[in-house]
Amino acid sequence: MNGSKSLGLMLLTPAIVFVLLFFVAPVILTAVFALTNMSTATGITGGAYQVTQSSLRKLAESYGQAELANTLAETRYTVNEEGLEAIAADGADARLVAEMRAKLGGRSFEKRRDLESAIKTLNSRPRNTRALKALSDTFHRSIVNERFESADAMLRATTNLGVALSADQKSALADATYTGWVWTTQNFTRMIALPDTQRTLINTFIYVFATLAIFNTGFALVLSIATHYMPARPAGIFRAIWLLPRISPPVLYVLLWKWLAWDTGFLSNFLANFGVAPRNWLLDNPTNAWIFIVLINGFVGASMGMLIFSSAIKAIPGSLFHASEVDGASRWQQIRYIILPQLRWPILFITCYQSLSLLTSFEYILLATEGGPGGATEVWALKTYLTALNNYAGNLEYGYGAALALVLVVVGVVLSLAYLKVFDFKTMVRPPRIEQ
Amino acid sequence: MRILLKNFGKSFGAVNVIENLNLEIHDGEMLALLGPSGCGKSTTLFAVCGIHKVTAGQILFGDRDVTHVPSQQRNVGVVFQNYALYPHLSIAENIGFPLKIRKESAAEIKRKVHEMADLVQIGALLDRRPAELSGGQQQRVALARALIRRPDVLLLDEPLANLDAKLRLEMRSEIRRIQQETGITAILVTHDQVEAMSMCDRIAIMKQGQIVQIAAPMEMYDNPVSDFVAGFLGNPPIAFVDGALTGSVFESSGIRIELPSAAQRNGGPVKLGIRPENFQPEFPQKVSGEVTFVESQGRETLYDVRLDDGQILRSIQGHAVRAGVGERVSWGISPDNILIFDEKGARL
Amino acid sequence: MTGNYKTWPMILLLGIITVPLVLMYVYLFVDTVTNSAPGSLVPNEITGEHWRFLWQTLPGRPSIWTATFNTFLFATVTTLIVLSVSSTAGYALSRLNVPFRAFFLAGVMVLHAFPTVTLIIAIFLILQFLGMYNTLIGVILVKASLELPFGIWIMKGFYDTVPWEIEMAGIQDGASRFTVWHKLVLPQVMPAISALGIFSFLAGWSEFILPLVLAPDNKVQVLSVYLAALIADDNNFDMALFKSVGVFYVLPVIVLFLFFQKRLMSIYGGGTKG
Repeated sequence: MNGSKSLGLMLLTPAIVFVLLFFVAPVILTAVFALTNMSTATGITGGAYQVTQSSLRKLAESYGQAELANTLAETRYTVNEEGLEAIAADGADARLVAEMRAKLGGRSFEKRRDLESAIKTLNSRPRNTRALKALSDTFHRSIVNERFESADAMLRATTNLGVALSADQKSALADATYTGWVWTTQNFTRMIALPDTQRTLINTFIYVFATLAIFNTGFALVLSIATHYMPARPAGIFRAIWLLPRISPPVLYVLLWKWLAWDTGFLSNFLANFGVAPRNWLLDNPTNAWIFIVLINGFVGASMGMLIFSSAIKAIPGSLFHASEVDGASRWQQIRYIILPQLRWPILFITCYQSLSLLTSFEYILLATEGGPGGATEVWALKTYLTALNNYAGNLEYGYGAALALVLVVVGVVLSLAYLKVFDFKTMVRPPRIEQ
Repeated sequence: MRILLKNFGKSFGAVNVIENLNLEIHDGEMLALLGPSGCGKSTTLFAVCGIHKVTAGQILFGDRDVTHVPSQQRNVGVVFQNYALYPHLSIAENIGFPLKIRKESAAEIKRKVHEMADLVQIGALLDRRPAELSGGQQQRVALARALIRRPDVLLLDEPLANLDAKLRLEMRSEIRRIQQETGITAILVTHDQVEAMSMCDRIAIMKQGQIVQIAAPMEMYDNPVSDFVAGFLGNPPIAFVDGALTGSVFESSGIRIELPSAAQRNGGPVKLGIRPENFQPEFPQKVSGEVTFVESQGRETLYDVRLDDGQILRSIQGHAVRAGVGERVSWGISPDNILIFDEKGARL
Repeated sequence: MTGNYKTWPMILLLGIITVPLVLMYVYLFVDTVTNSAPGSLVPNEITGEHWRFLWQTLPGRPSIWTATFNTFLFATVTTLIVLSVSSTAGYALSRLNVPFRAFFLAGVMVLHAFPTVTLIIAIFLILQFLGMYNTLIGVILVKASLELPFGIWIMKGFYDTVPWEIEMAGIQDGASRFTVWHKLVLPQVMPAISALGIFSFLAGWSEFILPLVLAPDNKVQVLSVYLAALIADDNNFDMALFKSVGVFYVLPVIVLFLFFQKRLMSIYGGGTKG
């Protein structure tokens, strides 16, 4: 196996398969689903055909087939072979069966009374009214609330009713009664039209910028610079403590914040000493909810900046610090003129990278406030999740959710391509030095 | 084994590094590829061992055309500048690795490893890891690993560059001893003229992808084909003086030297190359100037003398210091050893 | 660290900011073995009752041991997939003349930064199609795939630091590229592999959204979903119980963190999500 080409492809194949299956396919499918009205109600595989009150209303209103809708909605009585065999099996008089087949076969009646009066004209008619009623009921035919696996089956049943359909009526009926998903662009018009969307967008911006500015870069800088001016031991301890939020599983980490903020929690208990009534600080009003959302995400986000900035500071030659101290620089001057200029690139990196991951992360918000109170902390990614995968109404709207997700996917692709541009791609693809 | 490069060329993308290079290395010879960095010497070495693909021409080992033979089948031993020992293997495993790849028996490998270790004198270190060894010891291990499967040719890529001055001196003679004991054909890539001159049978000096001159070290020192070669060999380096030649008389503002050599040209601009050992107080053709720099090197003293027109001559003399900075001196040049170049640098 | 400035103002400053964090974690452990009077923050008795979930299954929940086993399986298998796939792919991208190498590298880099949660709706539907919804193997494959670009990226970075000369020497010694990779290069990146392994294990152990959406069933439930469901159940509010389950859940994480802090810091600093 000397060819590095074939060996390379062989070593890459598993990765390619995984990436195709769970990255490329989902990206494409997100776009596809965004153009459908898939939901729990429509199912994700093909649907069935069902004549319901609502589909008949749709037939009348959207397809202009009010007359057909009325006809189908009516209960009908039809004398056909099926019914005749049924009464024969029930032990009806053979002469009656033969006479009905001959005189009434194939005829339809709108009301039971009409069928009954027709039967009454027969020679071998049943003598008592109860038998007559039972006999008529056997010929009762309707397709309302019946479920058909295919359009053909439904149309055959309609014909059986004695309702003749034109080609137009056939296709209108099939469309109106289809319960599966269909192609549509309504998701996008809906997204633009809803005032909700605008609010979610504003929430998303608040979330990303506040967390990024205050914690992921701001506080991360404080952490890395402060630990730089400490002896190794306390510096290590502080770094380890601030890495805890990152290391802790999100469910547990948010639980700790709930303990801090809930009405029976630490804050309420502590503030009770000062006469403040206990309350759920996490959800009592939007401002407090936002403060906690930023804190919760920021405490996690600060650690990455801290590590990257710290190693960048460590890379500054010690002689620079010594020289500046000999020159009489204050600590603030040292930070301003030596440390910060060295951190320009790491700060840009963190900003690029984390704005993207914040934009699409919703795990901590889901666990902490679930977007509450009253949707005040619902960001785009969380809204996507709640729409498509978890909501109180129970009807999961995959199509609309996919349309919402598609916006994030597009933003994600654009930002990660930009990210590629910012960071030196050329040195990364330097050709291998062994040329075989 | 004789190594032959025929019309060899190598380009990286659109950049031609080497074009149409011809080189023959005789069987059992040690040849130095000498030149400044970027001259193409390492590229040539990588082509010989097969790490780089050849863009044009042929490479022959003996009569075997190896141009398109993969490295693994070329039977070339290489010693890299940083030794490239396998850090996770013991010294014995490092040396035995080429044999293990060939699936030789454990006993056979053990025997050969000991034999090699004795040759390079590291028998006591076989159980250690590379990180526990000094630079010179690592160098010996790398040599042993390169030699153990009896390669057709041994390539040494700047083998002494990572060693300190004292070890470098020791390893210079060691490598030469081992090469001569095994009788292997070897190519040494280096930018250090002292290494090339002290270790090799012949030197091929390279510049911008071309071989400028191939010759035995002393021959090259005495008869360089160009000012580039003359300037590259010799420490302290040769001094050049620009002027004009009329008949057998060289003149520049302030100096006049009579040249005995046959190379004569009327009125043309020329460049004289005068090595420091050929500018001495006792030599006949006197030139005067001011001493601008004195460097005592212990056994010898180096002087820079500024001539009246501002050009500098260099002189190296025995222990005693004969002049101080600022002093005017009148020292002589040995006319037989003057090298004359035309204005383009070619030897006349 | 230089000697000319006072240290204590820095320690004091950070110390004050760090107090809430320390409080949260200290009380996490304290509350699991103590009781306090309502409205008080000071424990007044020591108790083991909060740990009852270890020997009795809580109503409506799977056994904690089932969830633990599922979590362990999920994290371990995910890690094994990530390690084997990214150690091969990372090498191919770092060192071999693969066709479309630049394209693959750009792809890995884009995916590495790409927000994977946005794909979850499509992935949910794909698993439904494949019949792997509510199975551990389904969610394992998904988690491993989503971790892969990061893993490949990290491994490629580590392979890049292995000196070329080692590979050149291997080739001169007659070894094939495969042998060079597996006998000479792989041993050099063992620290990277163990770091990536611990990282992937922790990522799998902590993962919440994927199992929540793709495998919520009691039979395949992992600890994160177990704990979240426990907390979300308004009928049985018991903070000390939640915390005890939480400590049980986080203990392996803390242990791994303490043992491998240095390695983890290097990989967390190397550009992970978050």
